[in-house]
Amino acid sequence: MECVVQGIIETQHVEALEILLQGLCGVQRERLRVHELCLKSGPNLGVVTSDVRLLCDLDQPDPTWTVKHVGGAMRGAGADQISVMVRTMIESKVSKNSLRMFYALGYKLDHELLKVGFAFHFQRTAHISVSVSSVNKMPKVHAIDEAVPVTHGMQIVDVTAPATPENYSEVAAAVSSFCEFLAPLVHLSKPFISTGVVPTAAAAAASLMSDGGGTTL
Amino acid sequence: MEGGVGLATTTQPQQPPPPVVEKLNPKLEKELNLESLKTRALSLFKAVSRILEDFDAYGRTNTTPKWQDILGQYSMVNLELFNIVEEVKKVSNAFVVLPKNVNAVNAGILPVMLSSKLLPEMETDDNAKREQLLQGVQSLPIPMQIERLKARMDMIAAACENAEKVLADTRKAYGFGTRQGPSMLPTMDKGQAAKIQEQENMLRAAVNDGAGTRLPPDQRQITTALPPHLADVLIINEAGKIALPGQSNNFNNQGMMQVSGTQFMGRSAASPSGPNFDNTASPLPYSNSPRATGMVNAPSPQQQIQQQQLQQQQRAKLMQMPQHQQQLLAQQQQLRQTSMQGLGQIPALHDLHGQSQQKFQTLHGQHQMSYSQPMAAAHQQFQARQLSGGHIQHSMSQGQLNPAMNRHLNQFSGGANSALFTSAQGSPSSQMIPNMSSMQSQTLVPRMQQFGVSGTNPQRSHSSQMLGDQMFNSSGMMQTQQTQTQQPQQQQQQQQQQQGGYGNMQTNQQSLQPNNMMQNAQQRHQNPPQ
Repeated sequence: MECVVQGIIETQHVEALEILLQGLCGVQRERLRVHELCLKSGPNLGVVTSDVRLLCDLDQPDPTWTVKHVGGAMRGAGADQISVMVRTMIESKVSKNSLRMFYALGYKLDHELLKVGFAFHFQRTAHISVSVSSVNKMPKVHAIDEAVPVTHGMQIVDVTAPATPENYSEVAAAVSSFCEFLAPLVHLSKPFISTGVVPTAAAAAASLMSDGGGTTL
Repeated sequence: MEGGVGLATTTQPQQPPPPVVEKLNPKLEKELNLESLKTRALSLFKAVSRILEDFDAYGRTNTTPKWQDILGQYSMVNLELFNIVEEVKKVSNAFVVLPKNVNAVNAGILPVMLSSKLLPEMETDDNAKREQLLQGVQSLPIPMQIERLKARMDMIAAACENAEKVLADTRKAYGFGTRQGPSMLPTMDKGQAAKIQEQENMLRAAVNDGAGTRLPPDQRQITTALPPHLADVLIINEAGKIALPGQSNNFNNQGMMQVSGTQFMGRSAASPSGPNFDNTASPLPYSNSPRATGMVNAPSPQQQIQQQQLQQQQRAKLMQMPQHQQQLLAQQQQLRQTSMQGLGQIPALHDLHGQSQQKFQTLHGQHQMSYSQPMAAAHQQFQARQLSGGHIQHSMSQGQLNPAMNRHLNQFSGGANSALFTSAQGSPSSQMIPNMSSMQSQTLVPRMQQFGVSGTNPQRSHSSQMLGDQMFNSSGMMQTQQTQTQQPQQQQQQQQQQQGGYGNMQTNQQSLQPNNMMQNAQQRHQNPPQ
């Protein structure tokens, strides 16, 4: 189970966001370079298609693989009152044979993404991970070197925190209070709800950058 | 200006002088505008007292004041005071200062303070500044001087105005200076907003759904080279499709898959039939017996040829498969081969039985472990394959990682710290020794096989070199097949037990060092010249 919010930010403000996060989280940023393969089961495997994501962390000298299944989000009146999305999520590290195993099971590659950016992982009541990355798609299958951004001037901001059914409300509160700190630069919301950019992000970004915005006037 | 304080007194003779009421000149009075001044002073007083009360309250309730409020109050006070002072200044010329508290302390300084003449240093400063100002225009007649100075003043005033404007603009843009916060929001025109909205939807859809990233079905072939992290995971067959190794129609491949799978199983669980090596087993001791870990469905002898032919193919595949699987496969193949090839060697087994027993006892401490690998051709003089097979199985079943064993081994391998399957080496080597001795009591003599490394895989260390060096007798050699691990170091430790006559342990160990360099050495076993 995880609590997750997403937002978008213009690429020009990403550096300011990094400075802000660095100050808020107190940890070093980690580079993020993940090849995400989304596999879908075929109709022969069951009535309901299931999808599975295989994430390969290309940043390490030895790529590490993770398998992730994202489930449906919590619904209902209670869910509407929470400002973050709470959904089931199962994640595990796997060996690199996982891709072959899934193919052998009958899963097919549905789509793949390359996410390049940075991430912060820190502890603030809950274990929160913030990642800012540009999402790239590949013109040819598995052609990582030819990946192009899906949206050129915009990057996605992901704030996630793992939760259990017992403590998800505290985790949700922690995530939403953390998101308030990011309000000057990025509006965060549940994943499928669009928010737009922050209009005053330019001013906030300018004030975060070291030389101020004075020269731009 | 009108000066003078008029005194209007009413005098009455021979009466105590009535109180003298001093009244100001009415005009001055109007100018002073005392009423408004009084109200102003009062309001100022009230403002200051309010501030003091607020601070009192903050102190009592321990709350933090809001900056904006306090700043507002202070600036109001400031403004009011300023206005009052301005007003008073306007009419102050009508008055003179009358010092009230004259005492010994300030009697001396009073005249200086009251005088309007500048202090000497102030006077010189003044003169210097005046000089500076009138520098250019001293020579000109007075009106022109006045003009010039006026022009200068105008210029300076204009510059100040511009600076003020810039400052005000900056303040507005950042919302400073106005106590209400940013009042001017940068507005985006509709077009820009729509573009941003569209981009946002695209991005969110791509991340959450994958929309916009899917390739049309006809482009789903893999045409470009795979990135490194996928290169060893996926196998592309000729059609450009992702192939699984088990999907090819090669029997051996399937066998490999099965075998390697079971190999895993065989490795992790101790085989129940561990020490029960039966030398009298059927010609195919490994095909379907539970002892033959991983030898289920091993091909029949008729397929031995086929196997060898296919080994080249397999090696090609091996390059693509992960290391450990390659090792497993190799081991499997070796097992198979040895089982095939050992058929003809059974007699040899027996007569070496005694010899091996001897060697076990003598060279207890010297171990060599070799990693057996598929042989290309028929150097089929491996003896005691059955034994070794059984032994291998045994070793494999005991192939738990045993760092102590490892160290033990490493000691013995001397300079060549071939960390074989370093960790996995569980090299039951030392474990095996006791087993071997126990086995000796049984009919089986654990013989180790030495297989030359003929693979294309450069990572396999080669025992072949060692073999080449020494006068290895198959009888003198004992090797254990180690369970595979995914060790990057592929150096092998060979366990070698030799008869007393072969004192070439030293050379053997030395030859361990260039192990990894050998690629295609074939290894030959020869029967010991008995």
